[in-house]
Amino acid sequence: MRGSIIALVAVTVVSLLLGFVWLPSAHSDFTAKGLWDAICRAAGVPASWGGGEVVTRKPGTSVVLLPEMARAGTSDAAGRGASLALEKCTMCHGARGVSAANAPNLAGQYPEVIIKQMLDYKRGDRASAAMQALAAPLDEKQIRELAAYYASLPRPRNTPFTDMSKAPPLVRVGAPMRNVAPCASCHGGMEQKLGAPWLEGMPKEYLVAELSNFAQGRRTNDSHAQMRNMARALTAKEIEEVADFYARPTGE
Amino acid sequence: MFVARRLVLAHFWVAFAAFAAAILLGEWQMYVRSPLSSWVNNPEHYYRSVTAHGTVMAYVLPTLVAMGFGYAICELALKRPLIGLRWGWAGFWLVIAGTVLATIPMAAGWASVLYTFYPPMIASPLFYLGVVLVVVGSWVWVALMSVNLRAWRRDNPGAPVPLAMFGNVTGAYLWAWTSVGAAIEVLVLILPVALGFKDTIDAGLARIFFSWTLHAIVYFWLMPAYIAFYTIVPRAIGGRLYSDNMARVAFVLFLVFSMPIGIHHLFAGPHIGAGFKFVHAMMTALVSVPTLLTVFTIVASVEIAARLRGGRGAFGWVKALPWGNPVMLAVTFSFVMLGFGGAGGLINMSYQLNETVHNTQWITGHFHLIFGGAIVIMYMVVAYELWPQLSGCRPLPAGLMKAQLWLWFVGMLVLTMPWHWVGILGMPRRMAYYDYANPAMAGQAWTVTVSAIGGALLVLSALLFVYVLWRSQRVAGDPEPFTFSLPAHPTHVPRPLNVFAPWVAMMIALTVVNYGFPIAQLATMKESSVPAVRMGGP
Repeated sequence: MRGSIIALVAVTVVSLLLGFVWLPSAHSDFTAKGLWDAICRAAGVPASWGGGEVVTRKPGTSVVLLPEMARAGTSDAAGRGASLALEKCTMCHGARGVSAANAPNLAGQYPEVIIKQMLDYKRGDRASAAMQALAAPLDEKQIRELAAYYASLPRPRNTPFTDMSKAPPLVRVGAPMRNVAPCASCHGGMEQKLGAPWLEGMPKEYLVAELSNFAQGRRTNDSHAQMRNMARALTAKEIEEVADFYARPTGE
Repeated sequence: MFVARRLVLAHFWVAFAAFAAAILLGEWQMYVRSPLSSWVNNPEHYYRSVTAHGTVMAYVLPTLVAMGFGYAICELALKRPLIGLRWGWAGFWLVIAGTVLATIPMAAGWASVLYTFYPPMIASPLFYLGVVLVVVGSWVWVALMSVNLRAWRRDNPGAPVPLAMFGNVTGAYLWAWTSVGAAIEVLVLILPVALGFKDTIDAGLARIFFSWTLHAIVYFWLMPAYIAFYTIVPRAIGGRLYSDNMARVAFVLFLVFSMPIGIHHLFAGPHIGAGFKFVHAMMTALVSVPTLLTVFTIVASVEIAARLRGGRGAFGWVKALPWGNPVMLAVTFSFVMLGFGGAGGLINMSYQLNETVHNTQWITGHFHLIFGGAIVIMYMVVAYELWPQLSGCRPLPAGLMKAQLWLWFVGMLVLTMPWHWVGILGMPRRMAYYDYANPAMAGQAWTVTVSAIGGALLVLSALLFVYVLWRSQRVAGDPEPFTFSLPAHPTHVPRPLNVFAPWVAMMIALTVVNYGFPIAQLATMKESSVPAVRMGGP
């Protein structure tokens, strides 16, 4: 018994010496600052590497999406949002949130989507001559009321496609070899992710324009470059194809 | 047997019924992603199926088999009625309740997080509560094994614990300690998020806790197979066990070394220091020792059987083995699969070589070969051997048993060898579909078809297995009393190989050394949590 315990302790000590002293000695990164530093690094203790200036780029958006943004607003909030919308939004986005002017439909849009985009316009993270000017005077409470109003309106087309096999491959399965995720894995159909807009029935011109903006890097307010990374891998023809699918007339 | 017959039978029937259902899901998965079928329309269906297949095969089947076999060993090896029969039934019903509770969200698509949970993915809380109930039910079994051993010791002071019971209690203690990791992960980290109290989760820490369970659980699955190697195989083929003490050494080595090595599942994890990864790799190498001891002892025992039957020469004795005996066939198949799977395992545990195969189909091939192959085939032997005792039936039909074992062996090799091959080529695992239209992948398409064919053979074998058990049970017979293998030499069991406390203490001490710092470091690190990704459902 004593022999077993001694053997176990010996094995453990030898493993630790190998793992924390001998193995790091093969890497100049690990040994640059002496033995104790090498042991700390082998243990995974974060250390500052090199000491040079860390270059940070301004992120494309400053909005942090919170699950509470996705909750439906009160009817009071929706009512105040409706008055505000009548004054500011209906000209382009339609009287009931369905646009006849190739501006995006807002009826039934998820509230956190509208909140995020409006805040991005307001803070200059998304560019549009009209929208930046309209968003600038609004405070966050008003933006939430607008979101509550539009979320309460009926969607132009309520059910997404039920038969996934009719959707184009990019929507259904993406392009795995190019690292393009299926549209339906975030935008509804398979999964709805926080902050991903409802796309069914959106005007084609708007979808093509925004996908091209993402692809060319003109639009950068997608967190972690999620949409830029998707759109950059698409050909112009593929952008047309997915836009056609989401903009297809009701009933198809 | 005395009082536990129906209890054991209940465990086995639920285990094998669930097994038969889950194997159909596995084959469906192989079929839909092979070139034989078009791409699955909704990948979520694929992951839902993977979750159910994994949860049944990894939790429900082995836990119920280990529990049922454990109760049977209690009565057959200790030769006295099981103490705590009612508690045994309570544990059984807890496992059943947990299985049902977890099945509902899995079937509804609210829990497609795979059986390894993978935070930050978060499933419906019902799924985790179900898994917790299964584990709690198995803890009842752990306690009963301990109580029964203690009562036996009181009545037989100083006597060596029968080998089967020694292995059985080793498995129970191993499981008790190893399940603590996943229990902490689920109760402390996951459930608060699943229930909506939190929106972020420390995924790195959660995965470390899961790795605590993830590797040793393999040895918990393996224990019934090893008990069968040592205490059933030599007797069933007409030989003697070469060394009883070697078996005990192997069991206690599993207890000490199988647990604190799980970080080898996280070699690619950026949140653990390289030093700890290396230490875990070293200790994983050591856990191959008890397996090598077992292979040696069992081959020696088999040789004894051959020589008793008149075998001669350095290798000529192989011809004298009872090849018509299903158990002989099964142990041979098991060792061949253990050999391939073990060799693959040595590659997985090597810190550097692992980089080549990490998260590829190689891994899927490895664990199917070693668990589904080497271990489950021994579960089948256990069932076949115990069936006459449990159901009071006649000896089982040897022809059907042999056909079933052959199908399982051939099917498992046809399933897993292509996986190993394409794994080296880099084919990723956990994919709902592969794009065979891509020229870079088209050349590998045939391997997926071959694996799907192997899976079909396994389905046939599993259904045949259930059929043999079901049909035999309907014909009453008069079974002979069950016996375990006898050692070849008179055995003196030294005291350290007759007790558990020092080995359990070593297991816990080694866990503290190997896991203490990484857990403490991540638990105290600020801002190490990430947003939870909820998988749908209420």
